[in-house]
Amino acid sequence: MRPDHGRKTMKRKKILMLWPLFIALFSLSGCAGLGMSAAPKPYEVTPKGTVIYKEEFEFRVPPLGWNLFWPEGDDEGEFAFGFMKRDPGPFPSQSVFAYDEEPFGFSKKFEEREKEFFKRFLWNAILDFQILERRKVQVLGGEGWEVTAEGKDPVKKEKAKSKIIFGKRGERVVAFYITQWRPMDGDYDPSAFDTFDKFITSFKYVKKSFYETL
Amino acid sequence: MEGHQRNLYLYERFNARVLGVSVDDAATLKYWAKSLDLTFPLLSNLTGFLGASFGVEPSLEIRGYPVFSRKTVIIDKKGTIRYVRDGTPQYKDILLFLKKLNQEGR
Repeated sequence: MRPDHGRKTMKRKKILMLWPLFIALFSLSGCAGLGMSAAPKPYEVTPKGTVIYKEEFEFRVPPLGWNLFWPEGDDEGEFAFGFMKRDPGPFPSQSVFAYDEEPFGFSKKFEEREKEFFKRFLWNAILDFQILERRKVQVLGGEGWEVTAEGKDPVKKEKAKSKIIFGKRGERVVAFYITQWRPMDGDYDPSAFDTFDKFITSFKYVKKSFYETL
Repeated sequence: MEGHQRNLYLYERFNARVLGVSVDDAATLKYWAKSLDLTFPLLSNLTGFLGASFGVEPSLEIRGYPVFSRKTVIIDKKGTIRYVRDGTPQYKDILLFLKKLNQEGR
C-alpha cells in the first residue's frame, strides 16, 4: 500500500496544468545525420595574424594542408567547425579536428559528459575505444577535462587515435576533438596533435554565446 | 531529443516542461530513452491520434510503414497552442519563445 500515492498524483496534475507544456512530436526513423559542405564561409583576418570566424570565434589558422569544414545546415541548432587534412600513406590516413558547441551528451560535469559523449562519438565507425588517459587541463580560461582514446576496427584493419578536450562556455560544456585515422599497422603523426593544441591555445570567443545572453 | 535533454535546465528556468510524443511502441521508446539517458517523459502514441490533433500526418511510406514528420508544439499554461513548427527542433528559437512566454507570465 502507498497511502500517499493519490496525493502525489494530484500534485503532478496540478504542476502540469500550471506550467507551460512543450511537446516534441517525433519519429525515431526521422533522425538525420550530418553531411559535410566544402564551401567555406567568410572570415576576417586580424592584424595579429589570427582569424575571426563567423564574428564569434578567434583563432590561429592551422598550417597549409588543413582545410576548413563545417556540418551542413544548422541541424537541431548544433554548431561545429573544424579542419581536416589527408595524411601520407594508405587509406584511411587522415587527421580531423573540430570545435563543437554541442558535444554529444548533456551533463555539465565533465566526467559524466565524457561517458555520454563516448556513447555516440564516431558511432558509425564501430570502433572499440579504449581510454588511454584522462586528466584535468586548463582550457578557454578555465578548468577543462582531457581524454585520450584509441579505437580499433579489426575487421577493416583500421585504427584511430582521438583526443577530446571538454571546456566550458558560460555554463555549457563545449569540446575540441581531434581524430587521426590510420591503417592498423600505421604510425600516428604527433605533429597533427601539436597543431590541434596550438589551435586550442589560440582559440577565444569574440562575443558571448546565445546561451549566455538568454 | 538529446538537445532537449541538454536544455532541460533552461526549460526549467522558463517554467516549461517537455514531453516527447512518437508513434513508436513503448518498448522501443524505453530502450531509446535509456540509450540517450533521457529523463523527460516520452509518450507512445501508436495510433497517431495525438499527433493528428496537432496536424501531424504521415508524410510518406517506407516499406509499407508511414513516416511522420517532426513537429514542435508549445502550449501555454492556459492550454492555448502558442507555437507550432515543422521539422527538426530549432532549439534557440524554442528557448527564445519560452523566455518570452515566461516574461509574459504565460
